[in-house]
Amino acid sequence: MDFPLLTVIVFLPLLGAAVVALLGNARAVAGRVVAATVAVVDLALVAWLASRFDVDGGMQFVEKLTWVPQVGITYHLAIDGMSLAMVALSALLTVLAIVASWKTEKNPALWFSMLLLLEVGMNGVFVAMDFVLFYVFWELVLVPMYFLIATWGGPRRQYAAVKFFLYTLFGSVFMLVGIIALYLQTGTFNILEMAGAGLDPKFQWWVFAAFFLGFAVKVPVFPLHTWLPDAHVEAPTAASVLLAGVLLKMGSYGFLRISLPILPDAAAEWSTFIAALAAISIVYGAAVAFAQTDMKKLVAYSSVSHMGFVMLGIASMTPEGLNGAVAVMFSHGVVTGMLFFLVGMVYDRTHTRMIAEVSGLSSQVPVAGGLLAFASFASLGLPGLSGFVGEFLSLVGAWASDIPVGWVVLSAIGVLLAAAYMLWLVQRVVLGSPSAAVSGIADLSAREVAVLLPLVALTLIVGLYWDSLLRFTDPAVRSILAMMGGA
Amino acid sequence: MTVGLPHVLTLAALLFGIGLYGALSRKNAVHVMMSLELMANAVNLNLVGFSRFVTPEAMTGQFFAVFSMVVSAAEIGLGLALVIAIYRRKRSVELDAVQELKG
Amino acid sequence: MDWVTLIPLLPALAFVVLAPLSRAARAKLVPLAVAAVLGSLGLSIAAFLAVWPGGHGEVWQASVTIAHIGDRAITLGLALEPMSAIMLTVVTVVGACVQVYSLGYMHREDRIGWYYAVLSLFTAAMLALVLSDNFLGLFMAWEVMGLCSYLLIGFWHEQEAPRLASIKAFLTTKVGDLGFMLALAVVYAEAGAFDFATVLHHDWTAGTATLVALLMLFAAMGKSAQFPLHVWLPDAMAGPTPASALIHAATMVAAGVFLVVRAFPIFEASGIALTITLWVGLITALLAGLLAMVQHDIKKVLAYSTISQLGFMFIALGAGSSTAALYHLVTHAYFKSLLFLGAGVIIHAAHTQDMRQMGGLAKKLPVTSLAFASGSLALAGIVPFSGFWSKDEILAVLLHEHQYVAFAIALLAAFVTAFYVARLWFRVFTAPTQQEDLHEGHRSMLVPMVVLAVITAVIGFFGPTLGDFLGHEIPWPALGTAAISTVAALGGITLGWYVYGRRTSVVNTQALKQRFPHAYGVLANKYYFDLTYGYFVVGGYTTLARALATFDARVVDGVVNGVAAAWRSLSAAGWTFDGRIVDGAVNGAASAVRAAGDKVRTLQTGSVRSYQTLIAGAVVLLVVWILVKGA
Repeated sequence: MDFPLLTVIVFLPLLGAAVVALLGNARAVAGRVVAATVAVVDLALVAWLASRFDVDGGMQFVEKLTWVPQVGITYHLAIDGMSLAMVALSALLTVLAIVASWKTEKNPALWFSMLLLLEVGMNGVFVAMDFVLFYVFWELVLVPMYFLIATWGGPRRQYAAVKFFLYTLFGSVFMLVGIIALYLQTGTFNILEMAGAGLDPKFQWWVFAAFFLGFAVKVPVFPLHTWLPDAHVEAPTAASVLLAGVLLKMGSYGFLRISLPILPDAAAEWSTFIAALAAISIVYGAAVAFAQTDMKKLVAYSSVSHMGFVMLGIASMTPEGLNGAVAVMFSHGVVTGMLFFLVGMVYDRTHTRMIAEVSGLSSQVPVAGGLLAFASFASLGLPGLSGFVGEFLSLVGAWASDIPVGWVVLSAIGVLLAAAYMLWLVQRVVLGSPSAAVSGIADLSAREVAVLLPLVALTLIVGLYWDSLLRFTDPAVRSILAMMGGA
Repeated sequence: MTVGLPHVLTLAALLFGIGLYGALSRKNAVHVMMSLELMANAVNLNLVGFSRFVTPEAMTGQFFAVFSMVVSAAEIGLGLALVIAIYRRKRSVELDAVQELKG
Repeated sequence: MDWVTLIPLLPALAFVVLAPLSRAARAKLVPLAVAAVLGSLGLSIAAFLAVWPGGHGEVWQASVTIAHIGDRAITLGLALEPMSAIMLTVVTVVGACVQVYSLGYMHREDRIGWYYAVLSLFTAAMLALVLSDNFLGLFMAWEVMGLCSYLLIGFWHEQEAPRLASIKAFLTTKVGDLGFMLALAVVYAEAGAFDFATVLHHDWTAGTATLVALLMLFAAMGKSAQFPLHVWLPDAMAGPTPASALIHAATMVAAGVFLVVRAFPIFEASGIALTITLWVGLITALLAGLLAMVQHDIKKVLAYSTISQLGFMFIALGAGSSTAALYHLVTHAYFKSLLFLGAGVIIHAAHTQDMRQMGGLAKKLPVTSLAFASGSLALAGIVPFSGFWSKDEILAVLLHEHQYVAFAIALLAAFVTAFYVARLWFRVFTAPTQQEDLHEGHRSMLVPMVVLAVITAVIGFFGPTLGDFLGHEIPWPALGTAAISTVAALGGITLGWYVYGRRTSVVNTQALKQRFPHAYGVLANKYYFDLTYGYFVVGGYTTLARALATFDARVVDGVVNGVAAAWRSLSAAGWTFDGRIVDGAVNGAASAVRAAGDKVRTLQTGSVRSYQTLIAGAVVLLVVWILVKGA
């Protein structure tokens, strides 16, 4: 058997988490070095995997061991281009989150080990090809995130953490029902084998509904989104980054990996409904974001809007739409990560997130202001930056699909509304003369710039050369569509 | 006179009786444990005896005896460790000194 | 020929070098940006010569595939052909003039480095736009230009007005860009590609062609500030004047026209789209011209004039002559940027943008006034200045197409144009001097103006050559139309002179305003577009957004919290039930057990010896019992 690279990528952070926890708060300095090292090594392993990845090779680096043979549960990991993009995002953002929270003073051992534990769950979700394993990782993610919010969060952290936990748990319970139903019908827990099983459409409809609840809460799709702003506002910066950057993608990943290939007939039936919810999410999220007075809440609602484009692309079920969906997932992870980092960095200095109290960043702190403006333009979908790629492809795909034109046009209006809330933010926060809270603050440190630079680079690379991302995702998308067609 | 099963059983019964008496009458924990060993060895003697005279072709009883001896060796080790631990706390190995588990 | 790539790449590199630097380092590297655009200018002229003598077809083409999706590939490419060659020279000439001019105009700004960086990025995007061989690349460059326009309008962002103007400009053009995005989606769905060759040779049905054409027209209306999406351009004058000259007069606003020219076969396949284009142009040309008559801010006059002239280009397009539109685009780029640069000198000298406080500048600013005269006569359409030739071509096309109503409106617009040009000229240059201490501009500002003035004066003689180069015909003006348009222009100028030029005192038009209060009110309020948009669109959206935010917090989240609260009270009730009854039973059982335990615990002496005795006794009893039972 080959070197179990995926297992190492998934579980190395677990080892790191254990070491950091054992080192304890007394040796927190060593602990954070260990945490950073582990995360960097993990990222390097992902990069190494990517370098050996065969873009046309379908599922690769397969590891399959029997786990509970009596009911056919296997330890089954594998990776394709779509998973790779998500794992890369998760590994990168974990490294950046650790570096960005380098100076954490409250219970640092627990903090860093929770971040690493979170990475285990995130990496695992994207490479698990067995439903039970998938579900384990899916739920595993909740635990560290709960503690990250509940321990290091803002004033209402308990409320937000519990809401986050219960809401997503509520969704995943339905998912579990769906998994069990599928198992009873097909006799396997293997996600890949189930694809194209040709299940009865009526049965598919119900299972799709169950999965929909589980995934839609995570994405989140209007009207199941209200846990998101609360969680984001209360969560510490690094947790917000990972929450928006990776956790939301688990939901849309679920649609792409599970709902579409396994339940193609139901997906086709649901597509208009999903497109409608997507369009509403886009416009509604954008409008609500426009009215926010808290920077973090604005970015949180912008996530609702952007994830709407993911759902629109998924609902289109065209190569362009699905590629667009994955591209938005990736780009949103990068760009929103950047935005949350920046809002956090500004908050560290000004001790306020109120838009009304912060202005003139570009005059006082040109680096921070410039990067915030850059991230904003990436977020509003300026061509040449990554945000455009996915939104554009989603729209193109949606137009070419059976989705009613009205929803596509409504979604396109969302692009305009995104420009409105993002520019209005730039207008008030970045431009103008420095406000009282801003005057006298220091610009970004080298460490903070180092956190943001990789994201800036990715935004530009993906935005200018789409294939840097799409060459990984397109074969995966094609195989998803082939599975749907084969059913 | 050949030694038969009755001889063995008698010896074992005597040994067991001595052990039981010792275990019940002694206050010193070490003595009690020695007595317990006597009783255990009486049982071992029985096992060997039955094996030799009742089922001579099967070795089951003999193996059992060896197994039992190994277990009691471990048991004594553990017991003595406990006694030492008690001694450290109480400076005594009198069993009556240890009554913490009184209900 | 791959050096053509360098034309947009040089200014782009200048941006890449300048943008990440500190303010001071950027300022030092300003010459780099100027050198880059001069390099592009040189290469553009070389490219022009390489295409010469023109006619048909591509001379050079290069592309790169940026994405593979399914079995389709998305490519971005550049192509050099006559039209892009002409546009290259226009953009680089005006761009170079503006950059040299800005050395003088902006030298006191401490953020001059940032200004040059954005100007370079803009130039790069505009050059990429004209060279692009596909709609996607054109759109990407189009959007980047929008960004640069936003950044430059808001250059003095510490002040309120530029800040608001910049966001207004970006969002208004973005409204149009929605049309572009959707048009691209339709194009991709229909033709499966974005490149001009495939898309334009696609077999368009009239319906789809109309859809695509109208969506693109909408985009062009946003970018080229046509009614009713024109509102951003006058406000955009809050930016630095040279930037206005380049972006909001010569190049970016013309990109809308350029887009329609590129997509012209689709417009022709539609038919109805051309008619709509024509009327958009007519309405814009006339209404914007009327507005230019009542503005007091010199830059706003020029801004409305730009809108009006862009309207003329749309008229040409609507009448079916993309060549005439392109011709007017070229001439307008030169003379309007010239006028803006002149306005910059005037503003520097007079320290105000209000024409009512100017006057008599002709004597103090001789070079500027001469150069400005060249531009003004071109704008008014006086032979032999460039605007005459191209405007005449547009009018000739209208006559040729038997569009007599359109011809009349266009002629009226030309008359209005001449009037407001005269108004501007006489107010600024010949009216009584109201200020002392007026100074001519710096040499770095005058040289570019002279260059542009000379081009404006002579370029009209090359119309037919230009036509040949493009592979179309641009005839010399027919005597009849030339006479009619000259009469209109002279009439406008005469009227302007009559109102503003003939007196020696400062003109006061209060009486005129009082005589036509309603008409003046409509014009002064800019046909109420800004008020309507501000109230209904911006105000409406803001109110809606706030309402939705409240809805989200109260209703959507309220439901969630309500469920949670209901569940909590249910569980509280359950707690009571649980505590009293369910747990009561459990506790009852427990206390019974405890009572029994209390009794039994006395057995638990804790003494090892008593346990031993107990065990031994029990064993004895057991043995006895077995013996008795067994017997």
